[in-house]
Amino acid sequence: MRIVVCVKEVLDPDAIGNYALAGGLVIGDDGVSIAMSTVPRLMNGYDEQAVEAALRIREAGADATVAVVSVGSDLTTLLRHAKALGADEVTAIEPPAAPLDGAAVAALLAAHIRSTGGADLVLCGRQASDDDQGVVPALIGEELGLPVVTVARAVETAGEGAARVTRVTPEGDEVVEVDLPAVVTVSSELGEPRYPTMPMKMAARKVQPAVVTAADLGLDEAALAPRVAAVRQSAREISGDCVIIEGADAAEVADRLVARLIDDQVLPARS
Amino acid sequence: MTEAVVVVTWRGVRGDPVPETEAALTLGRGVAASLGGELRWLVLGPAPEGMAATAARHGAAAVDHVDDPKLGPGRFDALVEALSRYAADRSPRLFLFPNTFDARPVAPRLAGRLGTAVVMNAIRVDVADGRLTALASANGGNTVMVYAITGPGPSVVTALTNIIVPEDAPEPSTPEVSEVAVDLSGVEERIRVVQEAHTEGPRIEDADVLVAGGRGLGVPENFKLVEELAEALGGLAAASRPLVDDGWIDSSRQVGITGRITRPALYVAAGISGAMQHMAGCAAAKAIVAVNTDPDASIFRFARYGVVGDCTEILPELTRAVKERGASR
Repeated sequence: MRIVVCVKEVLDPDAIGNYALAGGLVIGDDGVSIAMSTVPRLMNGYDEQAVEAALRIREAGADATVAVVSVGSDLTTLLRHAKALGADEVTAIEPPAAPLDGAAVAALLAAHIRSTGGADLVLCGRQASDDDQGVVPALIGEELGLPVVTVARAVETAGEGAARVTRVTPEGDEVVEVDLPAVVTVSSELGEPRYPTMPMKMAARKVQPAVVTAADLGLDEAALAPRVAAVRQSAREISGDCVIIEGADAAEVADRLVARLIDDQVLPARS
Repeated sequence: MTEAVVVVTWRGVRGDPVPETEAALTLGRGVAASLGGELRWLVLGPAPEGMAATAARHGAAAVDHVDDPKLGPGRFDALVEALSRYAADRSPRLFLFPNTFDARPVAPRLAGRLGTAVVMNAIRVDVADGRLTALASANGGNTVMVYAITGPGPSVVTALTNIIVPEDAPEPSTPEVSEVAVDLSGVEERIRVVQEAHTEGPRIEDADVLVAGGRGLGVPENFKLVEELAEALGGLAAASRPLVDDGWIDSSRQVGITGRITRPALYVAAGISGAMQHMAGCAAAKAIVAVNTDPDASIFRFARYGVVGDCTEILPELTRAVKERGASR
């Protein structure tokens, strides 16, 4: 079985959050990118879970090859991390210089999947923590004519040529089955992904990820021209109007707060 | 030909998504006006109650109703097929979906099928020189991104309807309501439901009062302080994502951008820092009360009332005070 996991490198969302809180997010001269070399780059959290899901399928006994692929430049560190986690193959797809949208990224990934003989299962994180768009998996599905099962907390093989997926829905867990090949997106409810062991990390350091260009995949700039162009990014400004309730001790604070909430009709008076 | 902005809805597992529909129609009306075009409402599956009246109130020019038994929540292949046939027939300028759980798998698939642009999580859609731009939430809510949409239509946008305030049109319209037939005979869902989801008990999305706990609680045993206050207030207990990830409580109680979007009258945030990813799930609350040991915590920028203190001390006192004053909603 061939499992392809699509991963994205993003800026550490926790660092982004902290900088944003402090009013310290810096947008670059292009008006779009967050230009902060102090923020670590790492694998998108949900994509780590997608890698974990693939490894669990292999460990459950499926004769599976786990191939991790990512679109971008300077992805050696990211892909060595994927190798250290246990990926069998790691590939970087070098895009052309111009900015890409979700459709272009999906076109590159789909073309690569086709060119390597197809996949039985394509796993992706449900969305990337930088743009939160979450469109690439569905677009890969449409491009390859595959069903797309979203927000999985568990993915297992179900007999020959099918997968059973537990989805996280607002109504609780739903279990579905789908014939392979299929695209499945993974959510954090899958659980904590593994950390690479030290020996795996050491071995991965020697690995040179395969590199494929857009031209290799037969996709030129025209084919990858974006339909959605990021024009301007800005940090959100939230300023508040908060009344701080004080008191000599916790009991007094609580009494004052409840009295205030009743006064302001946030809570009903004696019911 | 008049350009059309088409708002697309269908009944969910829990019924018709009324507030989301009204918010989407409100947003759609604005975009249609900016384009000098018309607002249409495309209803897939069973018609919601008062469909024509709702459409009229929101100034829609027309309601197109496709009532086929194959259409319904989770019927993704049928939904995408019906939408792409409608698109081929009518060539609307824009499809606008509320950003609901049901719509999120459908919108990008539709754009892929049509070969057109898709933007998710839009807060606003503007028109400049006849071109559409969408302002979308990014980085977990910490930033906003303006996207310019290019290429031929119909473009696809999902709107963050939980933060858009529905507003009736200044003048009601007299919409043309039509039953539209679409041939879905060739469609068979490729995803088979083996075990349906069923909620046990009330949902935090429907709660009037929520008491949410975060890392400031310290240890799992302290979560009962949240539950006790919630009970005293006649509400439900909820949690931030780290607590759910650590297994303190079920994910159905998770508030946030990848959890549940709630809109209670009262939201008590105990030991929660106020990161944007969390606030996206409760910013629509009428009143937020924050308890945090850090006076600089971001939560105080969102809260109307704040207590700088240890939530493990404050929560039990609040429970006592609420019971003494008989102040449950």
